[in-house]
Amino acid sequence: MTDFPVLSVTTFLPLVGAAVILLAGSERLARWIALVTTLATLAVAAPLFCSGYPWSFDKQSSALQFVDEYGDWIPTLDIAYRLGVDGISLPFIFLSVLLSVLCVGVSWTAVQTRMREFYAALLVAETAMIGLFAAANLFLFFFFWELMVVPMFLIIGVWGGPNRVYAAIKFLLFTLAGSVLMLVGMIVLYDATPELALQPSGMLDFSALAGASLEPGLQVWLFVAFLAAFAVKVPMFPVHTWLPDAHTEAPTAGSVILAGILLKMGAYGFLRVSLPIFPNAVQLFLTPMLVISAVAIVYGAYVTLAQTDIKRLIAYSSVSHMGFVTLGIFTLNTSAVEGAILQMVNHGIISAALFLCVGMIYERTHTREIKDYGGVAKLAPGWSILLALFCLAAAGFPGLNSFVGEFLIVSGAFKTSAWLGGMAIWGVALGTIYMVWLFYRVVMGEKNSGLEGLKLELNAREVVILAPLALLALCLGLYPECVLSYLHVPVAELLPAGGTP
Amino acid sequence: MNLDIKHLILLVPELILVGTALVLMLAASRIRTTLPVTVGTVLAAVAAGLSSYWLLPDEPKTGFGDMIVVDGYSQFFKVLIASALALVTLLSVKRNPPLPPLAKGGLGGDRPAEYHALLLLASTGMMFAASAVDLLTLYLGLELTTLCSYILVGITVEKSTSNEAAIKYFLLGSFASALFLYGIALVYGVTGATGYGAIDSALSEHGLASNKILLVAIGLLAAGLAFKIAAYPFHAWAPDAYQGASAPVAAFLAAASKAAGLAALGRVCLVAFGSEGVLSVVLVVLAALSIIVGSIVALAQTDMKRLLAYSSIAHVGYALLGFVSATSQGASASMAAAGATATMTYSFLYVFMTLGAFGVVIALGQRGESLDGYRGLAAQRPGTAALMLLFLLALTGIPPTSGFAAKFVVILSVISTGHFVLAVLAVVCSVISAFVYLRVAVMMYMNEPQEPEPSQYSWAVSAALVVATLVTVIGGIIPGSLTFWAEAPS
Repeated sequence: MTDFPVLSVTTFLPLVGAAVILLAGSERLARWIALVTTLATLAVAAPLFCSGYPWSFDKQSSALQFVDEYGDWIPTLDIAYRLGVDGISLPFIFLSVLLSVLCVGVSWTAVQTRMREFYAALLVAETAMIGLFAAANLFLFFFFWELMVVPMFLIIGVWGGPNRVYAAIKFLLFTLAGSVLMLVGMIVLYDATPELALQPSGMLDFSALAGASLEPGLQVWLFVAFLAAFAVKVPMFPVHTWLPDAHTEAPTAGSVILAGILLKMGAYGFLRVSLPIFPNAVQLFLTPMLVISAVAIVYGAYVTLAQTDIKRLIAYSSVSHMGFVTLGIFTLNTSAVEGAILQMVNHGIISAALFLCVGMIYERTHTREIKDYGGVAKLAPGWSILLALFCLAAAGFPGLNSFVGEFLIVSGAFKTSAWLGGMAIWGVALGTIYMVWLFYRVVMGEKNSGLEGLKLELNAREVVILAPLALLALCLGLYPECVLSYLHVPVAELLPAGGTP
Repeated sequence: MNLDIKHLILLVPELILVGTALVLMLAASRIRTTLPVTVGTVLAAVAAGLSSYWLLPDEPKTGFGDMIVVDGYSQFFKVLIASALALVTLLSVKRNPPLPPLAKGGLGGDRPAEYHALLLLASTGMMFAASAVDLLTLYLGLELTTLCSYILVGITVEKSTSNEAAIKYFLLGSFASALFLYGIALVYGVTGATGYGAIDSALSEHGLASNKILLVAIGLLAAGLAFKIAAYPFHAWAPDAYQGASAPVAAFLAAASKAAGLAALGRVCLVAFGSEGVLSVVLVVLAALSIIVGSIVALAQTDMKRLLAYSSIAHVGYALLGFVSATSQGASASMAAAGATATMTYSFLYVFMTLGAFGVVIALGQRGESLDGYRGLAAQRPGTAALMLLFLLALTGIPPTSGFAAKFVVILSVISTGHFVLAVLAVVCSVISAFVYLRVAVMMYMNEPQEPEPSQYSWAVSAALVVATLVTVIGGIIPGSLTFWAEAPS
């Protein structure tokens, strides 16, 4: 490994870009600066994703790698600045830097007003996303967690659809209500582990906390406090109601970040905080969590079936899909947890791609109602083919990425309980129905007369934006090991001794 | 009593402020422009702040027959008061437009020298309150402050709302001062002392903890001080006074006056009545009610200064959380010290963020005073709107602003002494207040402008905003960098 602080630069480069955009004062240059910044971030982060070289990521180690440390960040509280990645956080950092580039691309013509502030907010959000996944202690994790809320609030509220202000405020109040309880939980945790001050990694360090073995009674309260924050973000049933509004009203780039990254933060929190630090409480809450997850899968799928707005439909499908993720995590079964993490990545790719597809066609038709579409295949064959690919991927078609993740989760669920497995299978079946039905109503059939005369076919820029996601969907479907190989060691480390293979 | 001329060195910051005030008053009739007065006041404030920091002793030094102490605690607050004075002076620059001719009898028109002299004298009183280790010195300091504040609130004589606010403030304020004085008398009656150290030793020697008269006395003292910091239920004057006063004066009351009141309250609670368990209960009630009422009532406000007044009531509740844990029964010495420094940190960061928010209100002139004036601000003045957003986020307590660091330390202090319910209450109310502040953000960013662009603001206001911004950002990114030297009173 080199001395170059890869993670810090990756994290804060977008912030520098945001500052440049705000200070440069040119509306015209804003999107170019944003594009250059996101591409540069992708380039800087590249060494993280290589493996096999002496300076690159070591898959055989569960320890944090590429650690950037500054022990004297907050000496009065003994909290250190510490970033690092392991196999679990790495895929999400990749997703964050990739989707940020695509978000700049898809906003290229879609955002016409106050472009400087838009791209600055987007870049601040990128810093928050990367920082959150790279944080090695709870304080930094919380710092970036909250930092993420502000730019998303602005992106939804300023550049969103007609009902944007309501959606933005709802999003903000839901997330804040959850995260303030996490703040109390974090402070209780800080207070309960004074001995960590003596360690070089400082207070609230994730790995040190995992070794702290807290009192079981305290763990229960802490688990609940953190659950409040994570459940809102995932979102789990019944606190998911902010999601359809926020996803539907957000501009395309906002929906992509929400669905692609923001939803993963909650599940990542379970993996990073709840499982390792509160093992006793996790055992206690196992059954309720599994039941809520199963309910989310089935309930989410039924509600999805009833939607008439394409974005809303994809938003509700996220509730169902994230239900699979939490189900997989709380089976505490090695392959199912790996499947859940893989499925988080998959969902990040697919839902982002679906929102991108919808956003691109919306830019031309200015309607999201399914009934206003029909027969798009004749007008936009290229778009239709890509949408077909992503719809099939979302439905869990073999050979595409979701299949592997769902398979691992469902088999894990069956090992826990046949009922859970049955619910999951039911969810998969419903998922196939709503995705295929959506595709049928939008793309196939008679051409809708309202679409007459519109140029719906994608241009080269849009194809370039969708291509990497299509490739990823195929690659991860055919060779899931390229993500799973990162997960084997850290997941085995993560699960308690009782975890089944 | 051994009065020694050498004791005067302990009062260098106060002397600088008083001296400047006297010079301004003597020269008042000759001063026609604001610029020299502003520059003089800012220089005096900076000098007072620097000398306070320079006087920071290793050991507490008492003087004037144990009436005054200079320690880490007092100097921390003096630096804070001096900074607030400097910023408010800068923010006042726009307040005095080119002078109209003075009417006969001195009424009408602006009186820059007198205005600044009053600010200086009020700050002097605050510094005395921070240094006082005797209830009588404290009373003198606080009275000097409030007397000047009454006049400052009413100084825009041609505005009837301003007069009304001054009268309300004066009536309630005198009442509170009387309560406080009565409390002092009762304490003297029970313990035979007015010095903090003497009160403390009298209480512990004679086992007076459950003395009924003493409890009444503590209640009266707490009520008098709660009035100064505008904690619920002694807050009623604040919204009216802030709304009626000119924005810089309101900012001064919200920032400096609160800091001084907290400084006084902290020393009274921790040094004089440190052995009294009842104080902790009183503080819990004051803090909890201030947080709840301040957050909820702010929801209904449409006047920006009134909104900030209720927000300041809520914030004083958060600040009190540190003292709550410092006075808790089970608290060890180190916990008590941590609690006191938590309140100090909170006050320090709060002063700058609230001055920043008032600064934006002032920068927008008349438009900044009503909530509707913020509609579409981001489209017209993106920079100003971004600053306001920053201060609003700080007041909400969202990282990466100093508000988060401040909230973290006070909540940590109450949790370490086991007040979990209070901690949860505090954060739940912070979600409510988030709605208050973000309503302004929504208006700035998500509504169309309805009023013409605000005019440019002066260099002085910009300078004050730059300072407030720097503190708010640095205090958030490197928490503790500005407040590491906070020290509990001894």
